[in-house]
Parts: sequence; structure tokens; C-alpha cells
Amino acid sequence: MFDQTDEKTPPFDHGPLLEILARADATRLVALAERLLPDLGAVEVIQSRTGLVMLPMRDTVQGTDFHLGEVLVAEAHIRAAGTEGYGMVVGRDLERAMAMAVVDAAASLGQTPEIRSFLQHEAATLAAADTARLCRVEATRVDMETF
Amino acid sequence: MAYVATRGGERAIEQSERLYRAELGQIDAGRVQELRKALPMLIDRVMGEASLYEPDLAALALAQSGGDLYEAVLLLRAWRTTQPRLGIAAPVMQDQLFTHRRISAAFKDIPGGQILGPSLDYAHRLLATDVLQGRPYSPAPVEPAPTPAPALQPSLAAWQKAQGLVADPARAEVAPDDIPDLTREPLLFPAKRAHTLQSLARADTGGMLALGYSAMRGYGNAHPTVNELRLAEAELRVRHPRGTEFSAGRVKVSQAEVTSKGRSGLLELGFCATLGWNEVKVISGATLDLNAPGASKGSPVEEEFFLYHTEPVEASGFCIHFKLPHYVTFQSSLDALRGAKATADKTPAPIQPEQVPA
Repeated sequence: MFDQTDEKTPPFDHGPLLEILARADATRLVALAERLLPDLGAVEVIQSRTGLVMLPMRDTVQGTDFHLGEVLVAEAHIRAAGTEGYGMVVGRDLERAMAMAVVDAAASLGQTPEIRSFLQHEAATLAAADTARLCRVEATRVDMETF
Repeated sequence: MAYVATRGGERAIEQSERLYRAELGQIDAGRVQELRKALPMLIDRVMGEASLYEPDLAALALAQSGGDLYEAVLLLRAWRTTQPRLGIAAPVMQDQLFTHRRISAAFKDIPGGQILGPSLDYAHRLLATDVLQGRPYSPAPVEPAPTPAPALQPSLAAWQKAQGLVADPARAEVAPDDIPDLTREPLLFPAKRAHTLQSLARADTGGMLALGYSAMRGYGNAHPTVNELRLAEAELRVRHPRGTEFSAGRVKVSQAEVTSKGRSGLLELGFCATLGWNEVKVISGATLDLNAPGASKGSPVEEEFFLYHTEPVEASGFCIHFKLPHYVTFQSSLDALRGAKATADKTPAPIQPEQVPA
């Protein structure tokens, strides 16, 4: 499925890896987690729940940080194969969060070609979606001419 | 005086609720998904006022309340209390917003340019009545530009501060855990700025428009011009147990700055932001923020006045509570009225002034 792995690229840093997993396609993420799960052995679930994360913003007038409101997230935290995995995604999908935690745990033991090609593919898909949106946004730029 | 215990309403109450819900019929996942897909603006408005970002739950609340916005907001605020708080995200900065729309009515040539994004501002408002004749309305597709717009845009206020057009007050660094939070502490006056802005973010759109509009029409101190209006997505930046900061996903936010020339010779700004895309709300809120300094007691642009009167759950709850039995208090008023009337009837008629002979 993911056969275009570029073996020469360095492994993903933890931050970008987590961000890609958090926005990755749910079906493909769960499928990858299911393939990785057997190698992790017995999995201890430390946390699997929904909850709220408060989102602050900085006001531009006085620079005051204030709370915009709360965002519902799904969280998963697991321990397996001597490592830990963690997932948090915007929304209510506990399965997505758990799949993210499984991939995070597996990746902490080593970014196998399968994991890396998944990350590369998802990163490219997400970037393409953002670019497509921004090309449509760019079409609304006003080219103003003064008489 | 005491409350009077009565019985006899149980059956009526039960049947009344059934009668209400019967109008809405069966609610299933399909209806919720259809609402979510068809009414994104309404979903955003409800999420902002509920102060809870979850479009599926907002759509469910709308389905269950039959579109009564105050009921929907109450359902979501109540549900929110069943959830634990897992943490506080990193504060969102303007120049980190994935921007879909950013315009200024005050400055033509803003850094980053004018990007209209999705908007009906310049559209004809025509009802597509053909739809009712069985001819679907399909919107014309966007013709994408060959190159993408920059995802991130600078903050206009930061540029104005650098230009010396706007005051740049020193700011105190506050840890996210120490940001004042209205959901955990009462709103007291004079309000902390963090409370004011949080309260505006959660406030009732219609209420803010009514009070903000009164200021725009002249019942305020300052006439607003939109300095910057932005529709964007903010990253929810959280922490992994190993300390890595990462984005758990994006949420829609809107923000507005409005400006007027102040007495100090600088431009003064008002600010408002909310969860979801809701332009009327943030422009009204920013107008109220701009007008609040020095407002007289009891004026619509006084902070205490507009913050208290635009809280959707308290305001609608107080309004509808008047329908609930007030028989004892009303009986007391009636007794006083009858007493006064009886006393008046017993009092001899006032003596007519003597006729002065011509």
C-alpha cells in the first residue's frame, strides 16, 4: 500500500509525528494501528476517555490571554512493550485516539518503513488538502486599483 | 409567607412534554448528520454560545431542541459539566491562525492583503424559489488560484503598534493555568479583561448585536470601523506526557478588531473573538469593548450592563422562569391591590371646592 518510502529521509520528530497522527485519515490510522498491535504484546490502557481542553487566545489590544471556550477531545494513553503511547484528537472518536496512541507507542520503539511511509503519505495528503483550500482562498484576494 | 405545596400537575406535565416532543418526532443519527452538514453557521453560533466545540453534539442539541437556540445552548452547557477538564492548550496567537478570510475596512493596503474568503457580503440576496419547484440549486464552483494564499497572516494590530498608530501597553505573562476562568469563578466588576473577553466569547449573538447596534447608532462613545475581521482555524496545542507540544487538531474561530480615533491622538481598538465563525457576534462584541471605557452607569455600552444582559443561559432562563407558578407572590400583590381599593372606597369623597359666585 505504501511502497514509495524514501529510506533516506530522517525519521519524523515527535511533534510533527503526533500532529500528522492527530489529523490523519481515521480509517487508515485504525488499520495501521491494528497491523502494529500484535508486535506490542499485552497493552495496558492507562486512559481512554473524552474530556475538555480549554483554548486560550491572546487579545491584540492589551495582550491579555483569555479563554475562548472548551474543545471536546478524545484521549488515549497506553503502556506496552516497555514504552508508552499517547493520543489526543479533536472530537469524540475514542477509537481514533487509541489508534494514535498505538502508533505513537510503536513509533517510539522505532519508526519502521511501514510507519514512515504512512506518516509521509498522510503528511502529503494533509498538505495537499491545505494547499487546495488555500488556492481557493487565494482566488478571493482583492486586487485593488485606485482611480 | 411560604411556598404552597400543591399536587395534581404530574400528568399534565408529562403529557405536555410528550406533546412538545411529538412535534419533533424521532431523532436519529441521520437527522443529526444532515443538520451538521446543512447548517454550519448555526452549528458555529451554538458552539460559540455554549462555549463547547463539538459540531456533532451541537447538531444533536439543535435536533433535540427543535432549533430553539437557548434550549440548545443550555443542553450543551449542561452536558459540558459531565466531562473532565484534561488541560489548557497553548494560547492562540493571531499570526498562527490558519486563515480563510481576513479583511480590513479601515486600511486598504494591509500587510498580507485583503482576502475575502467565504462571504456573502457582496452577493445578491435572492431566494432560490426554483428549489421548491423541484429544480435543485447548485452553487458555481470556485476557480482556484494557481498559487495558494499564505496560511498564516500577520496581526494587523501588531503592525499598527510597530507604526506607532496604536498604544502598545506592556503585558504581563500569565501561565495558562492562571488565566482567569469564568466557568470556575464569578464575574465581578470592574471585570478583569480576561473575564470580559471570555464572557463576550460565550455571549448571546442576538443580545450582543442589539447592544452593539445601539452603540453603532450613536448611543455609545465611539463609532466603530472594522480594523481587522478574520475567520480562521486555530490549532489546539496540547502536551504529550513526555512533554512534546503538538496540535490535536484545528477548530474554527472568528475575531474582530474595531477602531476609532481616540482622544489620545492614537487609534483605539476594541476586540472580540469566539469559537466558530460568527461575524456579527465578533463585530458587535468588539464595538462594545471599544465603547466600554468611561461609559456611564446603566448605559448599554457599560461593561456590567452588556456582560450581564448577554449571558444566554441566565437571560433566557430568567425570562422563561416567569411562566412558572408565581401564585403566592402574585396573590400577595392582589391582596395589596384589593386592600388599597377597599380603603379608597371607605374614604369619603373629597369636598368639592366652594363655588365662587360670579
